[in-house]
Amino acid sequence: MPLKVNDYEVPEGLYYTKEHEWIKMEGNNCRIGVTDYAQKSLHEIVFVDLPKAGAKVTQSQSLGSVESVKAVADVFAPVSGEVKETNMKLADTPELVNQQPYGDGWIVVVEPASLDDEIKGLLDSKGYADFLKTQLK
Amino acid sequence: MIEFAGFELPIWYKGIVPECKAVRNSVGIFDVSHMGRALISGEDAAGFLDYVTTNDVAALDTGRGHYSVMCNEKGGIIDDIIVCRLTEKQYLMVFNAGNREKDLDWLNRNAKRYNVEIQHVSGQISMFAVQGPNARHILQEICNENVSEIPRFGGRYVHLGDIRGFVTRTGYTGEDGFEIFTLDSPVEQPSRAVTVWNAILNHGMKFDIQPCGLGARDVLRLEAGMCLYGNDITESTTPLQARLGFVVKSAKTEFIGRDVLIKEKAEGAKEVRVGLKALDPGIPRAECDILRDTKVVGKVTSGTFSPTTNQGIAMGYVPKEYSKIGENVMIRVRDRSLRAEVTGFPFYDTSKYGWQRTGK
Repeated sequence: MPLKVNDYEVPEGLYYTKEHEWIKMEGNNCRIGVTDYAQKSLHEIVFVDLPKAGAKVTQSQSLGSVESVKAVADVFAPVSGEVKETNMKLADTPELVNQQPYGDGWIVVVEPASLDDEIKGLLDSKGYADFLKTQLK
Repeated sequence: MIEFAGFELPIWYKGIVPECKAVRNSVGIFDVSHMGRALISGEDAAGFLDYVTTNDVAALDTGRGHYSVMCNEKGGIIDDIIVCRLTEKQYLMVFNAGNREKDLDWLNRNAKRYNVEIQHVSGQISMFAVQGPNARHILQEICNENVSEIPRFGGRYVHLGDIRGFVTRTGYTGEDGFEIFTLDSPVEQPSRAVTVWNAILNHGMKFDIQPCGLGARDVLRLEAGMCLYGNDITESTTPLQARLGFVVKSAKTEFIGRDVLIKEKAEGAKEVRVGLKALDPGIPRAECDILRDTKVVGKVTSGTFSPTTNQGIAMGYVPKEYSKIGENVMIRVRDRSLRAEVTGFPFYDTSKYGWQRTGK
């Protein structure tokens, strides 16, 4: 059973940031997306600004954006490294981020450059769930 | 919910996209009671309004109305407004929520030499907008007058069931529709307004009427090419720069700002408001730079994603030489540049959408 905070799903086995990104370790790479809370807060996502494959990203710096009709939210890189893959499906179906934030609505795959150090700054699912509770008070 | 000019207003009920689609395809209802409303009456009402506004008030027959602006002596827009002649000697003025105090002050300050009464009724008369191609069918079911006979921008007193009010054929969406004003419905005790709101929702059920929030209101007006005061027009823009020259009647002998506006009308405005549609994926937003050959030539004043045309759209000001329809510019959105094309208003296909559409 995934953790749930109010209506927001927080699947176990992922890492999270306080900026509401999730990170899934896949071999040497990190698959990155935005959380259920992030997509529900933005509501109807109509555009995702993706970086190019090969782009270098730095932890805590913007790597792109997720946009609703009226709002723009930065997607911050949870780890530094190189973009290996971007979710091209989002160009035509940005609503996948709303529909499956932890699945087909993923945003990029990054090959991390200094994961050992940077992972210390990330939250596990329980840590993120607790953080979310404090945000919702 | 957000705070807007002192009111708590929802940004959306169901979602901005379905709310926009409801208005373009069928009907939506907006609570716009935050708007400013004044009734201006007396012997000199027409003369006074002709002095403080730029459009031709004397030309309005009873039951007719128009879009207009009030300008300061420099031709800068104090506010954009609707003026409607409800009876022989009484005019309704609808103005922006954020300008309520400023406008009333301006009206009162300029009324001294006129025999007029300016009644601020925003707190006593509620205001709803029912917008979309099916709006008239719903209103007709609860209204004693033939609403299809009301001309665009016109208005009249009506009974809505046993509740008194007036309706105008106006709106901020580009669609056919009405604004409904319920009398004796003070903010503290809005029972009559609630009755009217519920009646419209009940009669609208068969048309899938959708309550709409501020988000859809802003997107719909932008798709229609209409200005948002504070963004697209301010006291530093003139109606000619804003491409609202059609409301400036230079034949009138006296109105505030006349000298400047007549001069500008003759010479042509140097910077003008244009519509911009993004040719690349991406959404222009207010404050984005507009570039031409890597040089910044203007700024976006409003931008959004358009659910009707399914692309980024915007308006902004550029020098006259880049303002022709079909001109290409770039819009700097965060760290990217979007290709964009200057377009006319509205942004949508007027044979399919908007009050002039055919076949409805």
